[in-house]
Amino acid sequence: MKPGTRLKSAACDTEVMIIRCGSGTIACGGAAMAEAKPAEAAPLSADFATGTLMGKRYVDAAGAFELLCVKPGKGSLSVDGTALTTKDAKPLPASD
Amino acid sequence: MTNVMQGIRVLEVAQFTFVPAAGAILADWGADVIKVEHPIRGDTQRGFLNMGGVTLDPLRHTLIEHPNRGKRSIGIDTSTPEGQEVLYELAKTADVFLTNFLPHVRQKNKFDIEHIRAVNPNIIYARGSAFGNKGPERAKGGFDGTSFWSRSGIANAMTPVEMEGPLSQGIPAFGDSIGGMFIAGGISAALLHRERTGEATELDVSLLSSAWWASGAVITQLMETGIQTRNAMPISGGSARNPFMGNFRTSDGGTINFCMVSPTGLIEDTFSMVGAPEAAKDPRFADPLLLIENAGAASDILVKAFAQKPFAYWREHLKSMKGQWAPIQNFEDLLTDQATLDNDMIIEVEGADGGKPMRLVRGPVQFNGEPLQTTRAPQASEHTELILMELGMEWDKIEEYKAAGAIA
Repeated sequence: MKPGTRLKSAACDTEVMIIRCGSGTIACGGAAMAEAKPAEAAPLSADFATGTLMGKRYVDAAGAFELLCVKPGKGSLSVDGTALTTKDAKPLPASD
Repeated sequence: MTNVMQGIRVLEVAQFTFVPAAGAILADWGADVIKVEHPIRGDTQRGFLNMGGVTLDPLRHTLIEHPNRGKRSIGIDTSTPEGQEVLYELAKTADVFLTNFLPHVRQKNKFDIEHIRAVNPNIIYARGSAFGNKGPERAKGGFDGTSFWSRSGIANAMTPVEMEGPLSQGIPAFGDSIGGMFIAGGISAALLHRERTGEATELDVSLLSSAWWASGAVITQLMETGIQTRNAMPISGGSARNPFMGNFRTSDGGTINFCMVSPTGLIEDTFSMVGAPEAAKDPRFADPLLLIENAGAASDILVKAFAQKPFAYWREHLKSMKGQWAPIQNFEDLLTDQATLDNDMIIEVEGADGGKPMRLVRGPVQFNGEPLQTTRAPQASEHTELILMELGMEWDKIEEYKAAGAIA
């Protein structure tokens, strides 16, 4: 899928922008994501229900996928059934 | 909302609080502020783990929110030629370049004034520094604890001579937050000047110059008289010359501050309000000059009067007093202070964790008496692709820069 494409969750409010895309099925809340929302909402899988956070980037372990959350929702993101994790800044430690 | 900075773009290459706070104020006023962060580490301030004994949550990071609300973040490695290319593309579209990186970094990573002006001759170039942009110490960094508080003389002046050592700043980012507002004010004036004359200026504010200005009344007095004044040890009682200037302890250990610099017309009302109407008729306090002459006796009367009743009583009772006074509150009291609430001083943004909204502190300036609506601080590199696509950059080019590690 083309980078820059926006995908919508079939199971919740989540929307993502594709930043990097390998081959595999991108899902949210356990249901495959698509550019259009289905007429009928898919059920939210309990295994993929930890939610998405606005502005967070989600990546796979291999570095083939990167999704930017542009609208948060209750479902969590996966590729071919494997959960994606957030890509976080690794700041230098500081303290007062 | 009246966005006085609508249509102004600020490109911020800065870290910590002092200079980013200026960007936050301009964002509050409606500017489009793009914060450039390191693609891997982000703003070093994101790494703050502890503040005043409180552990910070990276998704509800108060020390990131305060100086970065309302901005967008782009991840650029300015040490790479490709990252510099991206920075220049952004600089072409900006009105203001805002930075607190040290001169050698600005030179090495080629975003010093000559590099930025080469791509945009009309850009206002604003620097925040520790000690100023002249002299050998322009090359040195500092925090408000060092430059604003310690070296400036403030720590010394705040601390009574009887105390064993100087007081510390006590409030994190205190000098930074004050100084950030100074930078924002300077940028506003520079924008007005450019609008009227077409001339883009460069501007400098340092933490030391911020402290210098904030302490200006006492430094000017020192330069004129040669006399250096410092805080006195806390007592319950009025000052040696004006009994209506001072702190007074209540029966439960609270404190009420009197600050009637000019007591004319206030003597009778003040004594009556503290429950000493006989003093109001006392010939020793019949007019301001007599009051000053008999300051000790008047102070004793006030000390005794305040010790009769608790803090809560005085805080309510003195509301109808004519003279200037204040309860000595803590910040928790301030959150529910009627003036805080009446003047929309608290702003709310969404929590990046999807949880309850975060409450932030509004800047000191209001336009048309309107409450402020803004957005939370960005996550590091949150808006990289969105900003670059807005610039009209093709995805292949974005990919290329990513592959080179220049952006994230």
